[in-house]
Amino acid sequence: MKNSLSVLAKKYPILLILLTCIIYFGLSSPVFLTVQNLTNIILQVSIIGIMAVGMTLILINANIDLSVGSILALSAALAMGLQSFGLVFAIAACLGVGTLIGAINGFLVSKAKINSFIVTLGAMMGVRGLVYIYTEERPIVGTERALVDFGSSFIGPIPTIAIIYILIIVLGELVLRYTTHGRNAIAVGGNYDAAKNAGINVDRHVFINFAFIGFTAALAGLLLVSRTNSATAFLGTNYELMVISAVVLGGTKLTGGYGSMLNTFGGVLVIGMIQNGMNLLNVHAYYSMLIMGLILIMVVFIDTRFKSGPQDYC
Amino acid sequence: MKRSKLTLLFIGLIIALFLISGCGSQEQEAVVDEAPAETDEAPAEPVAGDTVLIGITQNNVGIDSYQTTYDRAFREEVEKRDDVEAIILDAAGDVMGQVNQIEDLMAQNVDVIIIWPVDGTAVVPGVERAYEEGFPVVITNSPIAEDGFDYIAGFSGPNNVSQGQSAAEMMAEILEGEGKIVEIMGLPGYVTAHERSDGFQDEIVNYPGIELMETQPGDWNREKSQQVMENFLLKYDEIDGVYAADDNMAVGAINAIKEAGRMDAIRVTSACMFGDGYDAMQRGELHGTNEQSPFSDAINALEMAIDIARGKEVDFWNYFDTPKVTPEEVDNFERPVF
Repeated sequence: MKNSLSVLAKKYPILLILLTCIIYFGLSSPVFLTVQNLTNIILQVSIIGIMAVGMTLILINANIDLSVGSILALSAALAMGLQSFGLVFAIAACLGVGTLIGAINGFLVSKAKINSFIVTLGAMMGVRGLVYIYTEERPIVGTERALVDFGSSFIGPIPTIAIIYILIIVLGELVLRYTTHGRNAIAVGGNYDAAKNAGINVDRHVFINFAFIGFTAALAGLLLVSRTNSATAFLGTNYELMVISAVVLGGTKLTGGYGSMLNTFGGVLVIGMIQNGMNLLNVHAYYSMLIMGLILIMVVFIDTRFKSGPQDYC
Repeated sequence: MKRSKLTLLFIGLIIALFLISGCGSQEQEAVVDEAPAETDEAPAEPVAGDTVLIGITQNNVGIDSYQTTYDRAFREEVEKRDDVEAIILDAAGDVMGQVNQIEDLMAQNVDVIIIWPVDGTAVVPGVERAYEEGFPVVITNSPIAEDGFDYIAGFSGPNNVSQGQSAAEMMAEILEGEGKIVEIMGLPGYVTAHERSDGFQDEIVNYPGIELMETQPGDWNREKSQQVMENFLLKYDEIDGVYAADDNMAVGAINAIKEAGRMDAIRVTSACMFGDGYDAMQRGELHGTNEQSPFSDAINALEMAIDIARGKEVDFWNYFDTPKVTPEEVDNFERPVF
C-alpha cells in the first residue's frame, strides 16, 4: 500500500526537502511565498544553477569538475576587461576561453587518462592564478552600459537571466532524455567498459561534457558581471562546492550512471531557498551554512536508505 | 512500514529546521510581525514614534576585528532601542551574495537599507535597483563609486580628509612649524588612500617652515612601508617627520627608523589608530594618530538610517568623530581591538 507522496519522495527525494523548505519558510515569513520573492529566488540561483546543468552531465559520467568557480572568475574578468575591443568581442572571448579551459580539462581526463578530480583541482588553482595575474588583484569595471542593462532587464514579470536559466535546464533535460549523447552519458557513468565495448566513443563523449561545463561556467560568469558590472579576483570562490552540493542534493550519484536535470533544479532551488529564507528570517550566514551541510548529508542518507538499500552508498 | 518512516523523517526535518534556525535569530518573531504582507508597494511613510525597520548587509563580519566589533556594536545598539528593529545580514565577502541580500531586504519592505559595500563598483547596479523601487540606501564605512551617488541617500563613515588634516596639524605642532618630512600613503587607486593624502597635503602647506620632500605608496602594507622608509633614510640625511596614512604603515616605518638608529631625530604621525599603534605610542615611538572606533562607525550609520526612515533631512556626507590621539592623552583611549 503506497500513497503518492511516498512514491514521489522515493523517486525524487529532493521533493521532500523542497516541500519542507516551502512549508517552513512559508509559515515563518509572510514574504517568502510572494511572487516577487519566488522570482527573486530563481534569479539568485541562476548563476549556480547554470553551472549545475553542466555539472549534472559530469557527475552522471562519474567524473567531477572543481574548476568551475575559477573558470567563472576568469571569464567574468575577460568579459569586463576586454570591452575596449567591443562588447561582442568581450563576450566571445569570455565564452570562448571558458569553453577552451573546459576542453583542456576534458582532453586531460579522456585522452591522458588523469583522474578528473586531480585535473580539475589543478585547473581550479591554476586558473585562479591566471585570474590574479590578469586582474592584478584590483576590480575590473565594465564600460559598456548595454551589458548591465541586459542583466537588469525583464521579459514580462520575469528577469531575463532567470529565463535564460530555465531555457538551459529545459535544453539539458531534452539532451539527457532524447539524444544519443544524453543516453550515452548514463551508459558511460553506469559501466565505463561496457559502454566502450558497446561502441560508444567514450573519450569524445567525456571531452564534450567537460567543454560544455566550461561553457556553462563562462556563461554564469558573464551573467554575474551583467548584474554587478565589476569583476574581482575572488569572484566565484567556493562556487564549485555549491554547484556540486546542488547536483548531489538532486539525487545524482558521485558514482555515476544516474541523474536528471529536473532533480538538479530541485537541489539548486533548495540551496537558494535556504539562503533566501535565512535572510528573510534574519539568521546569521553561519547557520545557513550549517543547515545546508546537514541537509546535504540527510538527503544522501534518505536516498540510500529508502531507494536502493543501505549497501549502495553514494 | 517504509511510509510511516518517511512521514516521521519529514516531520523530523521540519522540527530540526525550526530548532536550528530558532537559535540563530534573536529577533525573528519581531521582524516577522513587522513585515507587511503586501510587497509590491513602496515602503509606507513611517510616522515619528513608530518602530522603524532597518536592513543592513555587511561586507564580511569575522574577517577582521574591526568588522566583528562593528557587527556587535550594531546589534547591541538595536537591542538597546525600542524604536528600531533590524534585519542584520552579512554578505561574507561575496559580491553576488550582497546583491542578493539587497533584494531580500527589499522583499521585506524595510524602511532603509544600509550597505557596507563588498566592492564599491559592483554594488552600484544593486543600489540603482533599490533606488528605482523607492528604497533609501545608506552606504556605511567605505564610499561606493561616484556613478552610484545619485542613487543613495548618503554616506556614513569616517572623514578621511579630516584624518589626514589632523595628522598634519599634529605634525606641525610637534615640529613647531619647522622641518623636513616625508609621506607614506595607502594603496593608490583606493579612495581612502587619496583622501587621507590630500587632507594631509592641503593642510601642511599652511606651515611654510615645513617641507614635504617626497610621497611614496606603502600600499597599507607594513613590510612595504618599512622598505619605503629604508629608502627614504638612505636618500635623505635630514628627516624630521614621517606621516603614514595608518598605524600599520607607521609601525613599518618605525621599524626602519629604529634599525637606522634615528628614532630620536624623527617624529611620526598617522591617521587611524590600530592596536600596534597604540602600543607604539605608549613606547613613545608614535607621536600622533586618531581614533576610528567601530562603535562610532556602527552607531552613526544606524542613527542616520533611523533619521531617514523618520523623514528627517540628513547631510549626504555624514561623518562620525575621529578624535586626535597624542602620547599625553593615549591612556584615556581604549586600546583598539584591531
